[in-house]
Amino acid sequence: MTPATKTHPLTRRERRARILLFAQFVPIFAVLVILFGGALVMAVLQSLGFAPWFGVNTFPTLDYFAALWGSATFWTSLGLTLYYATVSTFLALVLGTLLALALVKTFRGKTFYKYLYKLPLMIPYTVGIALAVIMLGNGGMLSRLAAFFGVIDDPGQFLQILKTHYGWGIIAVYIWKQTPFITLAVYAVLLGIGRETEEAAAILGAGRRTIFFRVTLPQILPGIVSSTLICFAFNIGAFEAPFILGGGFPDTLPVVAWRYFNDSDYTLQLRGMATVVSIGIVSGVILFAYLAVYRTFERRMGRN
Amino acid sequence: MTQVELSAVRKQFGGYVAIDEIDLDVASGELVALLGPSGCGKTTTLRMIAGLERPTAGEIRFDGKDVSEVPVQDRNVGMVFQRYALFPHMTVERNVAFGLSVRGLPKAEIEARLDEMLEVVQLQAFRTRFPAQLSGGQMQRVAIARTLITKPSVLMMDEPLANLDTALRGEMRRFIRALQQRFGITTIFVTHDQVEAMELADRVAVIFNGRLAQYDTPERIYRRPASLEVAHFMGAANIFPGRLVARDRIETDLGLLECTPLAGMDVGATVHAMLRGEALEMTTEPPPAGRQAIRGKIASRDFFGASVTYGVRCGSQQVTVTENARRMVDVGAEVWLDIAPEHVWLIRT
Ligand SMILES: Nc1ncnc2c1ncn2[C@@H]1O[C@H](COP(=O)(O)OP(=O)(O)OP(=O)(O)O)[C@@H](O)[C@H]1O
Ligand SMILES: [Mg+2]
Repeated sequence: MTPATKTHPLTRRERRARILLFAQFVPIFAVLVILFGGALVMAVLQSLGFAPWFGVNTFPTLDYFAALWGSATFWTSLGLTLYYATVSTFLALVLGTLLALALVKTFRGKTFYKYLYKLPLMIPYTVGIALAVIMLGNGGMLSRLAAFFGVIDDPGQFLQILKTHYGWGIIAVYIWKQTPFITLAVYAVLLGIGRETEEAAAILGAGRRTIFFRVTLPQILPGIVSSTLICFAFNIGAFEAPFILGGGFPDTLPVVAWRYFNDSDYTLQLRGMATVVSIGIVSGVILFAYLAVYRTFERRMGRN
Repeated sequence: MTQVELSAVRKQFGGYVAIDEIDLDVASGELVALLGPSGCGKTTTLRMIAGLERPTAGEIRFDGKDVSEVPVQDRNVGMVFQRYALFPHMTVERNVAFGLSVRGLPKAEIEARLDEMLEVVQLQAFRTRFPAQLSGGQMQRVAIARTLITKPSVLMMDEPLANLDTALRGEMRRFIRALQQRFGITTIFVTHDQVEAMELADRVAVIFNGRLAQYDTPERIYRRPASLEVAHFMGAANIFPGRLVARDRIETDLGLLECTPLAGMDVGATVHAMLRGEALEMTTEPPPAGRQAIRGKIASRDFFGASVTYGVRCGSQQVTVTENARRMVDVGAEVWLDIAPEHVWLIRT
């Protein structure tokens, strides 16, 4: 450093400001490092056989993963987990995007609909699940209505929607809750890009489908990717809906983990941890791949 | 090419009247400028012609046929938007080729026409760039190329030069004029810059508050405005109220002036006389007898480089005179203004 560029020593005020700034970060760091990071490390350690408090310490061993991954039901569970998460995210995406596209148009009562569609966002999942039981269950509203109008003879004959491995109830609850969320995200992006590029495309001769796929979709992709990422990550780890509305054994992975944790044989805790870590690995790999594909696409569109 | 006709077109947004009533007739291959202050309805008029907006009342005809049932996609019009509206996620070449590719033309033909068009707008070097990597003038040319490549029968441009610097603006004006003549496209051009309108257009439509105030050649709009509003908008400085004492004599505060008679105006009518600042001949010596001249004194002088504008005090009135900056007359000098009767234009009140 040349003498000419010698910097002033910090004044007392500047030093105080620096300490203050640091102090502001402490709570966030504490939460991130101790609660989250610490828990993550503990979970991985336990899944690798480190749990002296249960009298188990075979660290490091892959036995628990081997036992878990070696059973056919694990893969069925994983399949179910991914199936519910993917189908509901995809359907919510389609519905949410259609709704957002409708909302940018002007029509009567628009303000009302703009409030209405956000309603599920404010209602907790558990309430949504209860609504699903009331509406869709055997003996629920739909089955009674069907029986009343003579479509079926008895409510018990109603189409099995809940408690099957098709998971229509689970998917319905996810869609009900997440469609507004995706709408919100896509609508904000749509407002940002405006109508002009779509109008320009129409004047250049493009039809509605072409306009959507070649002009609108590429521009709203950031909103779609971020919102579906959040929904998918949530769906893969969600517990209540598959637990209450699911088809029972084999369960989705979060429910499987929960069963291990609640088992009277507490050594199964470690297998539970292995399950949790597996969920983390699977969702991490999928989301990372998703982002990587999206990045490639972004670069092709000249964004970096 | 296509002839465009608006008859009694009206546009309301809810309760707000954007276009009151407009009749406009654009001949095939003509370049018409829509000129008017901000918010007068220029963009709305273009959007109705393009089919992006439905007129509340009235009819729009292309070559005599009502187009109200023809969707935007099938009108075969072109539009250059006020803010370009380029596709941000496509390169220059994909932007320009868009109109051809949605028509499903064969690849080879698209490629050939793309090359030709990029050559015309001199964007060959930028074909793989994205809009965000272009300057304002380059984006503008992409927008024009993207529109022209589809060979529209009616071309509309919404203040395409508003965002450019003076030099580029002049260049782009000549460029647009040359292209328009080369392709012979019926063109409607929006601007709120009167110089731009006069340089480019065959005819100028002056719009105030959603009404057509005057529709004429640039020269007539400038020299022979139909109303005080148009005269003011076209930058007229010397307008004096007066009374017609004979068909070609008007009594004003400047004195009795001989003027061009205006059809349908009776002796005794109250009118305005307009004198264009550059049509006045200013001399430092009294002009020869027989000329219509008034005496005055220079009160102010503004130098604009190529031209000089003087404020000349004539009795109780001030007259603005613009002349070439070949000479400079000092403030306070005594001068005579030679006013040719053909340059005194009457405006109805
Ligand atoms: N979609 C709309 N809803 C309501 N009012 C509108 C709408 N579009 C335009 N207007 C109004 O109509 C009037 C004319 O608008 P327009 O965009 O045609 O003006 P303009 O002549 O192009 O102005 P500028 O020179 O500023 O671009 C304005 O007062 C504007 O506020
Ligand atoms: Mg406008």
